[in-house]
Amino acid sequence: MSELAMLSKAMFQERKDIIFSILGGFIAGIAGVALFSASGYLIAQTVFAPPLYTLIILTSLVKFLGFLRSSSRYGERLYTHRATFSILSRLRTSFFSKLIPLTPGILNKNRSGDLLARIVGDVESLQNYFLRVAYPPLVVIMVFLATVLFTASYSFWIAGLLVLGMLMTSLVVPGIVLLGQRKIHERVREQRSKLSTEITETLYGFRDLKIYGQLAQREEQLQHYSASLAAEQQRAAKQLLLGQSMHVFVTFFMAWGVLTLSAYLIMDGRLAGVFLAMLVMATQTVFEESAALAVLPAYKQDSEHAAHRLTETIPSQATTLRLSKSESLPTDLPVSIEISNATYQYEGEWRPALMNFSLHLAAGSKTAIVGPSGSGKSTLIELLLKLRTTTSGNIRINKVLINELEEANIWELTNVVLQQSHFFKGTLRENLLEDADEHFDEELMEVLAKAQLPNVSLNQEVYEKGENLSDGEKQRLALARAMLRKGLLWLLDEPTSSLDYVTEQRVLKQLYEQASGDTLLLICHRLTGLERMDQIVVMEQGEIVEIGSFTELMEQKGYFYKLKQIELQMIGESGV
Amino acid sequence: MKRSKNLIAQHMSAQRKYLVLLGIISFALGTAIVGQAALLAEAIQRIFVEKASFSSVAMILGMLLAIMALRTLLSFVNGRIGLHMAATAKTNMRESVLHNLTRVSMGLSLQGQTGERVSVALDAVDEADSYFSQYIPKMVEAMIIPILVLIVTFTQHANSGWIMIFTAPFIPIFMILVGLKTKNKSEEKYAQLAHFSGTFLDSLQGLVTLKIFGRTQRQQQEIERSSLNYRDTTMDILKIAFMNTFMLESIVMLSIGVVALELAIQLVVYKSMAFHTALLVLLLVPEFYNLLKNTGTAFHSGRTSMGAIRKVESMLEKNRVEAHVRDGNDQMPNVQISHAIPLPVPPSIELKNVRFQYAPDSFEFHSGSVFLKPGDNIAIVGKSGAGKTTLLHLIAGLLKPDSGIILVNGNPLSQDNEEVWFKHVSYITQHPHIFAGTFAENIAIGAGRDVSRAEIEKAAEEAGLTAVAAQLDKGFDTFVGEGGRGLSGGEKQRLALARAFLKRPAIILFDEPTVGLDLHTESILQRSISTLSKTSTMITVAHRLYTIQHATNILFVDHGSIVDSGCHEELLKRLPQYAEMVAVQQKGGLA
Repeated sequence: MSELAMLSKAMFQERKDIIFSILGGFIAGIAGVALFSASGYLIAQTVFAPPLYTLIILTSLVKFLGFLRSSSRYGERLYTHRATFSILSRLRTSFFSKLIPLTPGILNKNRSGDLLARIVGDVESLQNYFLRVAYPPLVVIMVFLATVLFTASYSFWIAGLLVLGMLMTSLVVPGIVLLGQRKIHERVREQRSKLSTEITETLYGFRDLKIYGQLAQREEQLQHYSASLAAEQQRAAKQLLLGQSMHVFVTFFMAWGVLTLSAYLIMDGRLAGVFLAMLVMATQTVFEESAALAVLPAYKQDSEHAAHRLTETIPSQATTLRLSKSESLPTDLPVSIEISNATYQYEGEWRPALMNFSLHLAAGSKTAIVGPSGSGKSTLIELLLKLRTTTSGNIRINKVLINELEEANIWELTNVVLQQSHFFKGTLRENLLEDADEHFDEELMEVLAKAQLPNVSLNQEVYEKGENLSDGEKQRLALARAMLRKGLLWLLDEPTSSLDYVTEQRVLKQLYEQASGDTLLLICHRLTGLERMDQIVVMEQGEIVEIGSFTELMEQKGYFYKLKQIELQMIGESGV
Repeated sequence: MKRSKNLIAQHMSAQRKYLVLLGIISFALGTAIVGQAALLAEAIQRIFVEKASFSSVAMILGMLLAIMALRTLLSFVNGRIGLHMAATAKTNMRESVLHNLTRVSMGLSLQGQTGERVSVALDAVDEADSYFSQYIPKMVEAMIIPILVLIVTFTQHANSGWIMIFTAPFIPIFMILVGLKTKNKSEEKYAQLAHFSGTFLDSLQGLVTLKIFGRTQRQQQEIERSSLNYRDTTMDILKIAFMNTFMLESIVMLSIGVVALELAIQLVVYKSMAFHTALLVLLLVPEFYNLLKNTGTAFHSGRTSMGAIRKVESMLEKNRVEAHVRDGNDQMPNVQISHAIPLPVPPSIELKNVRFQYAPDSFEFHSGSVFLKPGDNIAIVGKSGAGKTTLLHLIAGLLKPDSGIILVNGNPLSQDNEEVWFKHVSYITQHPHIFAGTFAENIAIGAGRDVSRAEIEKAAEEAGLTAVAAQLDKGFDTFVGEGGRGLSGGEKQRLALARAFLKRPAIILFDEPTVGLDLHTESILQRSISTLSKTSTMITVAHRLYTIQHATNILFVDHGSIVDSGCHEELLKRLPQYAEMVAVQQKGGLA
């Protein structure tokens, strides 16, 4: 439960707001009890026909208490919500820092893209922990104890009765709610995710389902899931309603109990009748104020579930192995890479993505990797970037084992274009991901022009995930991003797949000029322009099928030659 | 606005009897509330003022407890009815959404936004819950009980009743005023809020990029900054809402105070009133105002719900328009086609002036007149974006033409006979969908009938999948697809072939792969396609010269229309664009 620990820490850091919240809640609660007690006392006093000024004083007191209650309630709300949002902010930043060392490793267990959205949602439901779970009982108990002390000064027995009632509202009622809830909530979540998965699958496979005449059957199944989801949800809501109703009845029952007990005490002469209305009103109010306790189990469970899920996805023992000794690479020498017998298997996959893979990249050499999709090309780049660690075998950069190198050191050294480059909401300048003060605008524009994006404005807005950019624009921007860096190793994963032939050649020309002395590894989907490569590696299913220069491979008439023949058949794709 | 009322009205009228029931129970609940106050006042009167003996109040105390239990029970039942209504409404609403999703034509399904639709089917429908479970019961209660309380108050002490009547309207008026203000303010800040909350997700998704570029530290600060901005902006809105509550509570308090003061004056100064009556009124007044105040909360959640219902409705509406257009098309003269359509023998297909648009003002496709002979080997050729796939989908019957007609063996293809038609069609796409299920189930889906294990294994063998099945830990019974074992692109392609081998269709639609397949799959693909095409009409979106040269008929597509058709040599001679395309590509490839 390290997440709850993280939560407690975040809550502790917001202690000032929390103290104000508790104070506000306490004053509001007490003022409420006092307000209704005073009203009860006031009405009872009228029986004795007191002088008018007594009434005026009492009425003013009631007004004052009412005002005090509303205003401290206002303060309480303000501070609790402020604290809640501050906690959220702390949770987000600490989760982000926790996720940094775990990416992208965390993403291969659960490949469905909504994992991250789920983390966001879970963190958000954790923020409710303070507002709905941690804080209400604290205030309720304080207000209640004060009321018990107050009533004890009139009758020990009544105070005792209140304690009994409090145990019922704080333990018995939530306990009963919790009893049924755990299983029901589990089922609701299960049904909901099942329905969601099935609908998504139906939409994705729509075309195939339609052709294979499976849609009617699918719909029937979906309707079935939908009905059982609604039924489970209804059951969960019923359980909550039951809790609320039981709480209301306990409130009534306690008011009744105090009334009956007081009646007995009054007739016995042990309590003055004038306090009767006051005590009944006080009881009713203090129990009404504790209504939050009845629904608390539901929120508690949600938070715990969220915390549990987060612990599952994010192992608490941050798996980054501290380096025993860390070597650092010189940043002015071309890089050589030696991969020997590297094997990598994604968690939960049935065959390795890379198997006994050995390759030497000499300093300053240019290598291209080709092969069908899914042959392990991108995995290789991720291994070289130390984003993943080989299952077996090892990789040396400049003769140093990659395990002994700081990740940041490797990244500083490389100019990378990943297959899927991410763009952030902001300006184009910000998306070049370089510190603005390091580069003049002219310099940035020059690089953009080299990447064949000559007429863009640095202040142009970029939407979330670069939604307003075409695939080609994204690729050119990613290339510009890489070209702005000063690394000596280029790792490029299909950087030009969405560009037309002419643009592709122009960009690559600029790129090769800049990288002339550097080591370069290019994964490419098209087999054009490979003549200038020192070596071409042909991969299939995680293994090297062929290796050699363009002319060598063409003369061999092997795998590469046949792939080339297929490509030569391609028509109509020159496109844009 | 009107439409959302329609959907709500539709669901409400289906549940009218529950509404009546809610009314009856609310009335009983009101009576119980009044009864409880009366009995409590009576008990206090006897114990405190009359100093009666315990036994004489025992009866009243007993009744009080009973009525308290009854009151709890009644409001529980009201809640239950609300929940029941919500469950029924949700099930029905989701039923129409699901029905809609599975009936919608390909055109819409291709427009993507899968996430958005799933969210409508799940989240929006769930959000509709509180309209039925909270808003409706609370509104019914608020319409009946306060009036009941008011009437009782009038019979006891008219002055208090008048005070209540005059002060009560301030509550809704005030709520509406402040509600409008918060709404404006929150709408104003909505974009800002969305931006703040998006930063976290955006940063998580881009974490790899951020890492490599050494920007994580900065991004962490950015998250903190935007979260705090989010807090401050939200607090600005909440402050107004809290102020609203504060003022509302003050109004209620003031009103109760006025009633109490008037009562006190009657009691003490004029001595014109019994203690019992005064107490009863004073107990009823807070109930009255509380009910009105609760309406505010219910109203708020009701409005959020209505927004969600509107979302559901606009989706249903959008697709209904689509269906309507289609209905118009279905009124073809020839009706008894459903059995007349295809035979296991390849049919002839004819397109007559088919027009199609994905959305108004978007790319339009126009077919002109095309006749495809039975058993033909047809290649659709053109630049990317010219409309090749659209044409394929139109022939497949996956897209419904906006106008024009598609004739199969001389009979129009329509919604009524599409089931028969699809029984004879296979579509081999570049990215076949693998369903969550076993390997065998994924092949068997192609057959559309019960098939034996032997048939499945034979189809798998023909598609070169036997070795793959042998590698899998449970062979043909291994789970594949989402949540199961992953298959490579080549294996998926072969699985699509196995589906076709099992089905033995009369028409094969084939989206020829571009690059990215392994040589093994390539050779199996070529062999399989030539086997399958012997017994069927083959329609290929062609990317390869070899395929085009071997086609009996080439449809050359450019800018959304079929420019010309004929065999390779014919087109090379008479169509310069075609010749140019073939030449350019070959040059590019050789460069």
